[in-house]
Amino acid sequence: MLLEIKKVTKVYKKKVKANDNISLSIAEGEVFGLLGPNGAGKTTLVNQIIGLTMPTSGSITLNSVDVIANPGYARESCSFQSQTQVPISGLSTMQAIELVGRIRGGKKADVRKRAMELIDMLEMGEWQKTLGLTISGGVRRLVAFCMAAVTPGKIVILDEPTNDIDPLRRRILWQEVQAMARRGSAVLLVTHNVLEAERVVDRLAIIDLGKVMGMGTPASLKQDEGDAMHLELILEPGAPEPPLPDYLQQPVIVNRRILVRVRPADITTAIDWARSLKESNAIEEFSLGPATLEDIYVQMVKNPDETDRPGEAK
Amino acid sequence: MPKWLRSYFLMLKWVFLSYRAWLSLNFAVQIGIAVGMIYGISFFYPGITPTIAKYLTTGAPTLIMLVAGLVIVPQIIANARTEGTFDYIWSLPVPRMAHLGADATNMFGSVLPGIILAVVLGAIHFDFSLHISLLVIPAVILIALCGTFIGYSIAFIIPKPMMVNVITQIMSFAVMLFSPVMFPGDRLPGWLQAIHKVLPIQYMADLTRGTITDLDVNLGLAFIVVGAWCVVGFIVTLIVVNRRQ
Repeated sequence: MLLEIKKVTKVYKKKVKANDNISLSIAEGEVFGLLGPNGAGKTTLVNQIIGLTMPTSGSITLNSVDVIANPGYARESCSFQSQTQVPISGLSTMQAIELVGRIRGGKKADVRKRAMELIDMLEMGEWQKTLGLTISGGVRRLVAFCMAAVTPGKIVILDEPTNDIDPLRRRILWQEVQAMARRGSAVLLVTHNVLEAERVVDRLAIIDLGKVMGMGTPASLKQDEGDAMHLELILEPGAPEPPLPDYLQQPVIVNRRILVRVRPADITTAIDWARSLKESNAIEEFSLGPATLEDIYVQMVKNPDETDRPGEAK
Repeated sequence: MPKWLRSYFLMLKWVFLSYRAWLSLNFAVQIGIAVGMIYGISFFYPGITPTIAKYLTTGAPTLIMLVAGLVIVPQIIANARTEGTFDYIWSLPVPRMAHLGADATNMFGSVLPGIILAVVLGAIHFDFSLHISLLVIPAVILIALCGTFIGYSIAFIIPKPMMVNVITQIMSFAVMLFSPVMFPGDRLPGWLQAIHKVLPIQYMADLTRGTITDLDVNLGLAFIVVGAWCVVGFIVTLIVVNRRQ
């Protein structure tokens, strides 16, 4: 494996445990998703891989090199798109991409060619000479993506790369992410956008409260659900939660949304029950379908709206 | 080209381009500071003797460099820390000292017009001839480096960026009003003189005085003390920028 993370724990000052015994590995050519809610400890884990933060315990090796002892090697090997905006106010789009490409060791001509390729691909030509100061947040994030992709490292780490980006360019961006993996880079994708991740990643880990809650391919994670279906109910605004029958399993309630697991044998009964709720106006609508990765995610994370989370990276 | 130098020049380009928008404003500020220091401060004195004139003229460039290093550098760093700039730049394969070196070069380049203008204006306004020795080059570089390294140390050691701003404001007062830069040290009370025997400020001023005028200063001692502070500042900076959370 290219990247091996073993039993990494990070305890910040004031005893905040942001990562708790995390182990995972990523191979060359693989797109690996790191999914979890805000403050789950994703950014903390990334910061430890690239040597910005020091683990309290555990080991991280990249190409068998201990990157905790050699953070310089990690930075040579990883190209990184930060979740925060990049400091490019005075730089044009082209200058920003070219500078990072060259800082990452690319040759001038190669970097220019690749930068043009990315700009064309993401249809960013109109902003090629525009200063960072005057472009919108979404375009700035596209530029940040290009900065990570222009001279990709052995590992390309993308922290929420599609935030603020329009749907068409998102598609192109995801295609480029997969292309980078085909060319041999490992891509570590950090996101809380489960729907997008499901389509892009080869494998993923769901982390919450600093721990790995589940890991595998999207299909294998869903397989654990067997033939069970998921019933989703949307409550009428202001309506109380209806009492749930015993045969409905693992209920997750988020605001007006109730998600429950239904065994195949109980499906007819569950539909009748949901229909009666709809008729009595207790719920606005309901739907039944096979488990999606988002369902699995919601089951594992449980409290996506919880705000008081310990691991929010500084 | 060695990697360090390559990173340094690429970062210099990055920093310069980021700063480009402020160039014209900076130039105006530099003229203002130089004029203010030479013409403005002379209003404090009822009569300007040749010695006072030389103190003002040599004090101005020292003060400009000190304020840049001890006040502006920490404030810029504090802002950058608040905005998360360092998290990004330091994730790049750039030696951190190469990045800070590029930053410092840009800062020094931006105060150079003010420094030269203050000296030229001083010599014209007070009508005395400068005695410029070649040692002025290492002297100015040492003053700039020393101030900058101490500035970096302050900026990275103090945990809260807001606190950096408050402390640098206090320091700018201390440097401007309570340090023997624009006036001879013997005008200060004894205890303050004793403190300045250890601090680098008076020796930085001596370096300028001794290399562009005929004022009698112990240049050797000044080079040693400022050099020592510079080394300490460098080591502290090296440690603080390479530590990990």
